[in-house]
Amino acid sequence: MIILKDLRKSYTTGNQKLDVLKGLSCHVKEGEIVAIMGSSGSGKSTLLNILGLLDGFDSGEYMLAGESMVGLGERAAAKYRSKFLGFVFQSFNLIGFKTAIENVALPLYYQKVSRKERNATAMEYLKKVGLEDWALHLPNQMSGGQKQRIAIARALVTKPKVILADEPTGALDSTTSREVMTLLREINKEGITMIIVTHEHDIAALCDRTILLTDGLIV
Amino acid sequence: MFNRDTWLEIANTVLSHPMRTFLTGLSIALGVFILVVMQGLGFGLQNGVKNQFSDDAVNSIWVNSGRTQLAYHGNKPNRQIKMRNSDVDAMFNQMDTVNAYSRRIRIWGVTMEYEDQQSNFPLRGVDPDHQMLENTTLTEGRFVSRRDVVEETKVAVLGATIVEELFKGESPIGTYILIGGVQFRVVGAFDDPASRWENKMAYLPFTTAQNIFRSNDKVDQIILGTGDLHIAGTRALTESLLSWFKDRKAVHPDDTRGVWMRNNNEEYERFQNIFLGIELFIWGIGLLTLLAGAVGVANILAIAVKERTKEIGVRKALGASSLSVVGLVVQESVALMIVSGSAGLVVGVGLLEIVSPMIDHEYFKNPQVDFRIALVALTILGIVGIVSGIGPAIRAVSIRPVEALRDE
Repeated sequence: MIILKDLRKSYTTGNQKLDVLKGLSCHVKEGEIVAIMGSSGSGKSTLLNILGLLDGFDSGEYMLAGESMVGLGERAAAKYRSKFLGFVFQSFNLIGFKTAIENVALPLYYQKVSRKERNATAMEYLKKVGLEDWALHLPNQMSGGQKQRIAIARALVTKPKVILADEPTGALDSTTSREVMTLLREINKEGITMIIVTHEHDIAALCDRTILLTDGLIV
Repeated sequence: MFNRDTWLEIANTVLSHPMRTFLTGLSIALGVFILVVMQGLGFGLQNGVKNQFSDDAVNSIWVNSGRTQLAYHGNKPNRQIKMRNSDVDAMFNQMDTVNAYSRRIRIWGVTMEYEDQQSNFPLRGVDPDHQMLENTTLTEGRFVSRRDVVEETKVAVLGATIVEELFKGESPIGTYILIGGVQFRVVGAFDDPASRWENKMAYLPFTTAQNIFRSNDKVDQIILGTGDLHIAGTRALTESLLSWFKDRKAVHPDDTRGVWMRNNNEEYERFQNIFLGIELFIWGIGLLTLLAGAVGVANILAIAVKERTKEIGVRKALGASSLSVVGLVVQESVALMIVSGSAGLVVGVGLLEIVSPMIDHEYFKNPQVDFRIALVALTILGIVGIVSGIGPAIRAVSIRPVEALRDE
């Protein structure tokens, strides 16, 4: 599903050039659930951004679902994002003035799905994460775990091939973390590839395997 | 672009900061309100002055005589210049074409009697073209005709005030009235709402009036119609007539009192220029007020975009295209402009509608804003909305999801 070959990325700040990724190669198969670990500054967030087509890379090859992601423009990246990828963030990033169901339906809005169909699909996914009764609540009326489940429903609603989760349990207590991980595993069982960035070993232990990043290289 | 979802989005974002939205809207509404009210006032002033002008035909030249200022050809200053029938004939003879004309004499306070009613009114002896040159609107009958002037018939055309006072509202047409003791047949009546003075007037054929009430060959005034002659043409005509007249009456070329002319074309042009100036001034103020409002909106949107950096980043990560982000900001701006602008428009127009009937002044009439100006104002608002939305929208588009989503 995801193939990386000699992926390199550096940032330039002033006169200083900072190499963040120094030639990564890896292969994530369809249906796998993989954890990315590494100390801060190891480049795991950068990697996730590149995987999520939110950021470009300098050289190397990135194949997503059999298509090359080299040198994508803004528009093409947006298209692939909405076609292949779903995002789950540490701070949930729900839109505050939209209800749960509106938040879940938002990606479909950008895919120009009709309102009726959008809401039906969104409701279906709210059921899947067990929050159908909270459909009309605003994010600030919900607990952290509930918010993250809404965010997961939002990531799933476009039926992506890959879900990228950036510290999905970073803001949650251990019980809730476990619940969220259980949910993610269930979704993974339905065949969706999942990449989870985390710094918690017990979260990583719940994944099929762990990619450990150190100083921009896979160890 | 403007479907239900878009409107819900706009409503959501706009209403999430009600106070801020209200204040921005208020500045726009105020701008439009000021524009509309100023337009209305300018329009009222214009109406009033135009109404004053409607008294006389715009395309006319008025020839007058007075006392000389300067000695010339052995004549002492302060000599009264008299225009005579022979002067008028000679003037017409030396002109290439005479478009329309009327000689005019004026007699003050003549006793007019009908049955047991009597009162004093002024009268004028005129030629047929006088009706057109003075913009006289007949309510009944006819005006003085060419035949009346040639045959010196004793007919009269009466102003509305005379008809009211002597005839008590009955139709005067065909009746006989004594003017200065001489019997005249009434052939017409007129009403000139622009001038109360005019309505006290009786018009007689020029020759008749001159013979009966003057018994000399003096002419007080000559009015020449200039037809569709261009303004420069009328200026040249005025000038050549003036020098011809001065020469004939031995008036110094630099004398401005002995013989003088008023070119209504020029006067009208002068007023038109003043109105143009006023109009430009009003638009200038209105547009600057709108501009201030637009800057306010741009400011608010810029802040809103900054506040919503994260949200816009999320939207982009969820598949929002650049176009939809631009749309979000620009449409919000346009919607804000149109809604608050319309409110200002409605209040402004409403105010003018209420105030308009209460104002009736000679130089100020019907302060209204026509529909076209309202449309222009709304179009300007739309454009201003787009323009003030573009800056913040470009900022919003340039937000990179990575930076927006970075957890601090």
